[in-house]
Amino acid sequence: MKISSDFRKEISKLGEGFSVNYCYQCGTCSGGCPALRYTKVYNPRRIMEDVLLGFKEKTLKDPVLWFCTMCHACLEACPQGVKVSEILILLRNLATELGAFPVHLKAEVSTLIENGLINPGGAAIQRRRQQLGLPDVPKPIVDNIKKVAELTGFISLTGYQPKEGERPKENE
Amino acid sequence: MVDYALFLGCNIPNRLPQLELAARKVLPTFDVNLVDIEEFGCCPEPIGIQELSRDTWMAMASINLALAEEKGLDILALCNGCYETLKTVNTELNHNGHHKEKVNAILSQIGKEVKGSQNVKHLLEVLHKDIGVEKIKSSIQKELKGIKVAVHYGCHAIRPSAILKTDDPFQPKSLDELVTAVGAESIPYLRKMLCCGTGIEGVDKDNQLWMINDKLAQVQHMNADCMTMLCPLCYIQYEMGQLQLKKEPYHGNYAIPIMYYPELLGLALGIDPKEFGFSLHRVKVEPLLEKIL
Repeated sequence: MKISSDFRKEISKLGEGFSVNYCYQCGTCSGGCPALRYTKVYNPRRIMEDVLLGFKEKTLKDPVLWFCTMCHACLEACPQGVKVSEILILLRNLATELGAFPVHLKAEVSTLIENGLINPGGAAIQRRRQQLGLPDVPKPIVDNIKKVAELTGFISLTGYQPKEGERPKENE
Repeated sequence: MVDYALFLGCNIPNRLPQLELAARKVLPTFDVNLVDIEEFGCCPEPIGIQELSRDTWMAMASINLALAEEKGLDILALCNGCYETLKTVNTELNHNGHHKEKVNAILSQIGKEVKGSQNVKHLLEVLHKDIGVEKIKSSIQKELKGIKVAVHYGCHAIRPSAILKTDDPFQPKSLDELVTAVGAESIPYLRKMLCCGTGIEGVDKDNQLWMINDKLAQVQHMNADCMTMLCPLCYIQYEMGQLQLKKEPYHGNYAIPIMYYPELLGLALGIDPKEFGFSLHRVKVEPLLEKIL
């Protein structure tokens, strides 16, 4: 792998990405990282190092990128103010553009686009809610959410496709 | 009376209605009026949708913010994830005009506009800062004397602290103080600040279970009567985790009731336990109730 500053420059232009340049590789982020302690493969210091060295492809295509729990302890602990977890989100966004994101998120995307919620309830939960005296669950305007997903490019980005043979529910 | 747009999210209304019930029972006692907004959708969740596309996440969250703005209401979120999303996006819209322009260019296509003019609050903030420990103390009918509670905050109630500004990111006190306010004891325990691991559930369930196991073992070691929290996802992990950990190779043997804080508060306010949805808890709460009543 060739060392280069291209990747670091690319990240620096995005969101909180510039802070990666302040990283001096002390490893405080890794010291307090629950994902490192339990998965033993995810290592935030090493990911920051790879960004600084310009190992773009290796960083973005490695599934380990998705083993962070997003607890933000690294961001809070960094003595240099590197927004480690925020940078990780930027990296995951770039990985998604390459199609390198975990498969379970595909199902989540479908549910979101079709229901406006990632965890819609069925008839059983509706009955239970009535028993408890709770009002009907919120009903988001699915068309609006779908439209936004189209406009931001989210549908083509995630490769979302409506399920075959399923007609849109109109009168329910 | 203070009015809030109640933001339920996905998990509370559709998986854990007992949590919603408790919040709706308890809050009116403290002059908090919850307004339902029918069109609220997914926040969207910060550990999946944001990771795929931050721009989409911001735009979808802005639909919800715009809905609350139309009613002139501040948002009250019952879930850590919803809170982090809505508060972060609201803050960014206010600090970055470029973001606001970009989002509004999209929202205009569905006839909406976001201004960032309303506040977003977590239930923790409303209970601890707005209502306050003193007012809660003076409203208590039945002190939960002798009840040992293991407090769990959930990461996204407090971090990133520069944006959320709810409590200290490593040594928070607010929920502990709310537990003491109802007369119970907030016990110290190792791994108190350990994350529930929801973020890796989809990619590494095994190690996530070991993570949950580590925390539950410490809670059990301290003879806690229950755990309490304010996040539905943490709640699911620690409740379902106890059932999942019974299997090989974990061999966990836990029976720690998981209490949404408003449930504890409600019992202390003297509300009849029958009015809550305790039968929907997957880990039996009866031993705790017997000790309290």
